[in-house]
Amino acid sequence: MRSRREFLALAGLAGVTPLLASCGSGVLPAPDTAAPGFGEGATGVLRLWARSDTQTGTQAVVDAFHASQDRIRVELTPVLGTQYVTKLATAIRARAVPDLLAMNDIDTILFIVRDVFTDLTELVAQLPGRERLSPGQLDLSTLDERVYGLPFLADNSVLWHNTELMDRAGVDPSTALTSLEGCLDAARAVRELGADTYGWSLAANASGIIGFVTQPHTWAADTDVITGEVGSQRGAVEGNQALRAVLEHHRTMWAEGLMPQANFSDTGTSWGSDFTAGTVGLLPGNYFAAVMGQDEAVTSRTGVSLLPGPTGGSAFFTGGDNLCIPRGAQNASAAWEFTKFALEVEQQSKLPAGGYFPVRSDAATDEYRATYPLAVAPLEQIDTGYAPRTLSYNLLYNQPDSPYFEMFRRAVFDGDVDGAMASAQARYDRVLEQAQR
Amino acid sequence: MSAATPRTGAGSTAGTRGSSRYGTITHRSSTGLLLVLPALAFIVVFVMVPFVFAIGISFTNWPLVGAFRFIGLENFAAIPGDTAFWKAVGYTLLYTAIVTGPILLVGYLMAVVVRANRRGSTVLRTLFFLPYVIGLSTLSFLLVLEAQPGSGAVNLLLQGLGITDGQTAWFTSGPLATALISLLVVWGVSGLTMVLLLAGMQAVPREVHESAEVDGATWWQRERSITLPMLRRPIAMSLILSVIGSFLAFSQFFILTQGGPGTDTTPVVLAIYNRAFVQLQVGSATALSLVLVLVVALVTAAQFWLLREKD
Repeated sequence: MRSRREFLALAGLAGVTPLLASCGSGVLPAPDTAAPGFGEGATGVLRLWARSDTQTGTQAVVDAFHASQDRIRVELTPVLGTQYVTKLATAIRARAVPDLLAMNDIDTILFIVRDVFTDLTELVAQLPGRERLSPGQLDLSTLDERVYGLPFLADNSVLWHNTELMDRAGVDPSTALTSLEGCLDAARAVRELGADTYGWSLAANASGIIGFVTQPHTWAADTDVITGEVGSQRGAVEGNQALRAVLEHHRTMWAEGLMPQANFSDTGTSWGSDFTAGTVGLLPGNYFAAVMGQDEAVTSRTGVSLLPGPTGGSAFFTGGDNLCIPRGAQNASAAWEFTKFALEVEQQSKLPAGGYFPVRSDAATDEYRATYPLAVAPLEQIDTGYAPRTLSYNLLYNQPDSPYFEMFRRAVFDGDVDGAMASAQARYDRVLEQAQR
Repeated sequence: MSAATPRTGAGSTAGTRGSSRYGTITHRSSTGLLLVLPALAFIVVFVMVPFVFAIGISFTNWPLVGAFRFIGLENFAAIPGDTAFWKAVGYTLLYTAIVTGPILLVGYLMAVVVRANRRGSTVLRTLFFLPYVIGLSTLSFLLVLEAQPGSGAVNLLLQGLGITDGQTAWFTSGPLATALISLLVVWGVSGLTMVLLLAGMQAVPREVHESAEVDGATWWQRERSITLPMLRRPIAMSLILSVIGSFLAFSQFFILTQGGPGTDTTPVVLAIYNRAFVQLQVGSATALSLVLVLVVALVTAAQFWLLREKD
């Protein structure tokens, strides 16, 4: 019996020890970014985590960085997008963090409020071209006017149109696509071209895509679905006339058969395929959905503009990756050197080759415009880019049971716009209240 | 054939125990302890320590990121009013009720088909067991494609049979998604039940069946009065494994529906996963996990008691 007691005591001790160890962990030390020579002439290995979703874009910049110098070797670790937050949180708790993070920009605020990223404000103030950076994407990593992360590559939602179908339908995209009302008329005109030709397409059973491509219509009217500062936010659904107009616009398109039936169940697996096949007039989507991997025949008949508001204005979703240096980084100097390199116009102007938009407006040089004419629109109005800064983005928009997604489907497919908005208001408030406790 | 071997071997084992080498075996108990020590260490490090750690976490507000504080029994006190959790529990019970019977029935029927050493039995056994070897995760990824409206094999088959128009969006409806996932699971895991029951069936002495046949018993009478009673233990084991598997169902729902539409197909493990890694409330999720462990233990104990051998 004695040995049994000893065994149990040992097991208990072994279990509690890490718990106690974690209790005293505290935050990791921040690198000394004010040290002389910080971010210049660094050496050694730079451990960089990249999202698997954007790995191709990151890898291209890493290759260029290696070609430009031989002091720093970047050790790139792709992390599955859905596991990034969990793995990073675990690494921070284990006090074994990488030197640099290329992470989903909407997730950065989760870590910033916990004070686990390095404050880059002073470094950013000295960064050449800082004022050219996407303000929407930069804002996602800014808290109380302190900057904790920099835009790296952009995954923006825009409105693609088929120029041939527009011509045949007698629609002038430059005037028609400046409001949702105009888009609706354009979609109706395209639909009349034939039984298999549709005005608009949407991966309507993919929560993430719905949030990505439909919210900018509301933002274009200078309003959001969330109100308040991080930590004290609530939903702004009920009484939101712009949001109502967006929901009604999509409801009308569905009810009038302007969208393909397959949209109802499309989880994103065939997102954009109908547009690239030439059977759809308008597609809200990213560069990947409409342009990447398409041949000249498709890209030459493709046009692009920003997503319009109900009666005017425009916006786009500033998705993509931001670069952050976690506290505890062993080679923060190399991390900052890489960051500066990644933001140079030369690197930024090559991003569309991997399927992404640059994050600085001056990347749109004449050569760039000639090479990537379909990747210019967001750069020309980079100030209209936005994404909500909230601790609950995934819960509010990306989950299958997210209130925005549930509201959208109920309003569009069931036609219950009022009920959908009332229900969403309550759920927004509940989700935000729980996250901000 | 192989099932008969252990029975003949049982006598010799008893003989060894009674031999003069009994003292040697006692001496070897320390050797035995040494031999199991690696496994024991494995269990302590990877099961017991995390379990104790989990109990500790359940008394905190442990967020995925940042500092935590002890909050006593708050996480447990919140469980009775946790509507999302109880909805998931309800769905898990429904799902368990739907799949348990068919898994046993299909597994039993497959075992009946392949138990005789007829030509082709081995091939059939392999074919029946193959889905289990492939695994539910892989099967689920295949179903993602095969359930696509208009292009998936499931829809094309139903269209070909004239049952649907081939455009069914299976995962946009809770009942449809549950039905399809249940079919997938029954197909995917019945092979294990077949193997468990097959071993039991082959242990039934052929003479018993033969004498019953001579006495004029029909196939069904022999099955009901001889085979089934002698399969009590394997059936109990199959049911327990099946129910535990259903209570802990995760991958097929995570891959196919993500718990949607809404939370209509969210089983309890997925609800706990979401609590930890989407809502970032690891303390609350751990408390829910401990409740689940307790529930599974109680259900398993109840099954053992209900299906125990009665003298």
